[in-house]
Amino acid sequence: MSAILDTLRFGSGRAINRLEDPQLVAGQGRYTDDLSYPGQLYLVFVRSTYAHANIRAIDVSSAREMPGVVAIYTGADLVAAGVKPMPGPAGFPRPDGGPAASADRRALAHQRVRYVGEAVAAVVAESLEQARAAAEAVWVDCEELPSVVNAFDAMKPGAPQLCEQAPDNIAAAMRHGDAAATAAAFAGAAHVVSLDIHNQRLAPSPIEPRAMLALLNADDDRLVVHVSSQMPTGVRGTLVDAIPGLSTERVRVLVGDVGGGFGMKTGAYPEDIAVAYAALTLKRPVKWRAERIEEFLSAVHGRDVTSRAELALDAQGKVLALRVRGVANVGAYATATGVAIQVIVGPWVSTSIYDIPLIDLAFTAVMTNTATTGAYRGAGRPEAIYLTERLMDAAARKLKLDPAELRRRNMIRPEQMPYKTPMAQVYDCGQFEKILDQGLALADWQGFAARREASAARGKLRGRGIATFLEWTGGNALEERVSVKVTADGFIELGSATQAMGQGIATSYAQLAVDVFGVPIERIRVLQGDTDRANGFGSAGSRSLFTGGSAVDVVSRKTVDHAKALAAESLEAPLQDIEYAAGRFTVAGTDLGIGLFDLAGQQADAQILVDGSSTAGAPSWPNACHICEVEIDADTGGVHIVAYASVNDIGRVVSPTIVRGQVEGGAVQGIGQALCEAVAYDSETGQLQSASFMDYALPHADGFIGFKTQFDTSIPCTTNVLGVKGVGELGTIGATPSVVNAVIDALDHAGLGNLGEGLQMPLTAERVWRALNLKKVDPSPFRAEALGA
Amino acid sequence: MVNVSLQVNGGTMSADVEPQALLLDLLRGPLALTGTHAGCDTGQCGACTVHLDGEAVKSCSVLAVQAQGRAVTTVEGLAQGDKLHPVQQAFIDCHGLQCGFCTPGMMMTAACLLKKTPRPSEAEIVHALEGNLCRCTGYVNIVAAVQRAAQAARGDAA
Repeated sequence: MSAILDTLRFGSGRAINRLEDPQLVAGQGRYTDDLSYPGQLYLVFVRSTYAHANIRAIDVSSAREMPGVVAIYTGADLVAAGVKPMPGPAGFPRPDGGPAASADRRALAHQRVRYVGEAVAAVVAESLEQARAAAEAVWVDCEELPSVVNAFDAMKPGAPQLCEQAPDNIAAAMRHGDAAATAAAFAGAAHVVSLDIHNQRLAPSPIEPRAMLALLNADDDRLVVHVSSQMPTGVRGTLVDAIPGLSTERVRVLVGDVGGGFGMKTGAYPEDIAVAYAALTLKRPVKWRAERIEEFLSAVHGRDVTSRAELALDAQGKVLALRVRGVANVGAYATATGVAIQVIVGPWVSTSIYDIPLIDLAFTAVMTNTATTGAYRGAGRPEAIYLTERLMDAAARKLKLDPAELRRRNMIRPEQMPYKTPMAQVYDCGQFEKILDQGLALADWQGFAARREASAARGKLRGRGIATFLEWTGGNALEERVSVKVTADGFIELGSATQAMGQGIATSYAQLAVDVFGVPIERIRVLQGDTDRANGFGSAGSRSLFTGGSAVDVVSRKTVDHAKALAAESLEAPLQDIEYAAGRFTVAGTDLGIGLFDLAGQQADAQILVDGSSTAGAPSWPNACHICEVEIDADTGGVHIVAYASVNDIGRVVSPTIVRGQVEGGAVQGIGQALCEAVAYDSETGQLQSASFMDYALPHADGFIGFKTQFDTSIPCTTNVLGVKGVGELGTIGATPSVVNAVIDALDHAGLGNLGEGLQMPLTAERVWRALNLKKVDPSPFRAEALGA
Repeated sequence: MVNVSLQVNGGTMSADVEPQALLLDLLRGPLALTGTHAGCDTGQCGACTVHLDGEAVKSCSVLAVQAQGRAVTTVEGLAQGDKLHPVQQAFIDCHGLQCGFCTPGMMMTAACLLKKTPRPSEAEIVHALEGNLCRCTGYVNIVAAVQRAAQAARGDAA
């Protein structure tokens, strides 16, 4: 019995050390760039130095003569070879009713470059040094064109045009809600608050840069692709679609350890197509590892949406309507993901945990001469929630109400569940006021005045900010397959197409399998990242546990049932008498029995294999209350976070250690957006000004006090078998508004009133100092006239 | 090509490298010690941190030829046989890593700190880790891991 209890110490709900860690701390991780094949070649990209230009000619003749050079490809070469462009933003409308527009996004630019850093040629050589040297010798003759990096500028008549189908550079636009009823609500409202907000462009910046190593396997003529990606199956699909002569069967995508993804490694990149094409054509292994500057230049950026957001309230502070006009800068090539994040995913959560009856939301996705935007941790939800939570604070300030009280008055009540939003999204469960109350207690909300005084005594301005919110998870990809293989040598292998990028999927899945099989956790192995073994959507949108984890549970139980039948045969006993516990089948009331692994050994191929799937009924809706306190140094404008408390409802918790790490690590990313991070392009030249970690300020180790993080596990999700809700993005979504609200609160208390509401992120010391000392903030980034309003 | 001979993790190794090759290139390439990671190319991220004659250095900022005749310790040399270094064990115990990519550099920096400062304050730990970037953990568990490693190391010595 004690052995069973010992085993279950590693089951779900237990804080255990991660299975992933022993290899990783020993330096034995297998990241893509760690792999090498004999005779491998190195690929280096030649990138555009212009934001916008016609390519007149590319002269590769001298580069081709340089030592070690094996091949050089240009966009024209790939077009001639039939390599197809990547998919555009199909499925979304333009304002004129036509289909969404984008120029063709190609592996290598053809005829025109549209942003600084776009790849125009690829040099392949025997060594990396040789490839780099030859890339320097490729001469690209360009006719520079006027460029535009600001989305409002891009919509002006006469602005540089990114693609033929969109004279206004609008890739797509969507409206949601009831504009007339919302306008009437605003007209009759006791109070209206309005904020102009730029949710700045961010570089996701996983510390592992993108990397790919591709080779044509001589034995079976298949292309083997090692890549750092969150979506192995998606990468395979993109390569097959783009490269002539490839079929799904001919490609195997393998993903080892992934050094962070955060959405940036979802799907394939143009560069991936070029590397795979080179390996296919040259019939030798080809490796590309992005330099950090390439990550800043050409990996997708996140966010970048400028909005006017307005709230109408009655005299008691009940929200009557929400109106948002958002203009998203989706970069040079609009993708379905980049567009969807802004025009539909964000709106899904705009009303958040509040009972807001009326909405009027309009989002316009605009192309500019900047890198393409895509998924970055939260992807649409941080942008939407930031607006809502900033509006809530602005309304509380205007109505002279406690910001927690104003939120409380507007929260959806438990008895309203399931609750259908004006966006037709259905929340299955949620007790938002209960989470709020725990958050207020954890943060000692009532004791703030004393802390503010104590800070003042030390010459610091203290502020307090709150965000209560939810998020949508799952990417609307709710089915997941899992294969369970029990082997005679004593292991249970779980094969999944979800893809770890640091979030500890193997550990969480193993804990779930321990629950079902009752075997020691060392007996569980989790296999990911091999398209020959498992295929699916991959990991994005906080979906892995509630889709893939549910499948682990369902298929594991199925495996036990299947094995029970095999045990009945083996033990020559009636099926209904077979019992299973802790890795052993027994016949009830006898001492007859057989071990699970021994049973596997008796089967034809010495294994028990069960393949199956499960489908979650709906997205999950994790929610939280995050409360931050900051101190501002009035002399420097420097903002320091001095307290951060959060209470999170992610339903049932499988791995307590991991989810805490997700929320706190995610929060620091959100704090990074609030205080220091920003991608900057020069408005005249389109040059990227933040192209290294010297110029793009990631959070460092300083400044992070201990987080107070709690989970309320009493509100399980009702639409998946585990009762879990996604967790990966929650911290990032909640941190940004709670930090900024705290800074604005401190400035308000310092006598600035609502002036601080005009501050834009990141809240650098300089911006805060100017607000405090010069009573100045930057002009509004929102230009209503550009929308014809 | 230049021949570089050096002590790596206690053994003598040598390889021919280009004169401009970085210590990072030598370790990851000819010496196949891929636990040392390249993350930024500009000396900011610290994923490539190793010990050179006992000092934590960013191996992307040292030429391979500068390591001639010197002693290098990489993450692969941190454990004593099967026994993890206290820093390694503490990173596991405190969930001080998620994706693990920055971790070797973080641990090498931390190990160097603890050798010089067995009882570091939180401020000293944060200061030591200033040149190491982590995008996953938010640093709190890393700082906690270094504190725990310091305790463990002192416990072993006692």
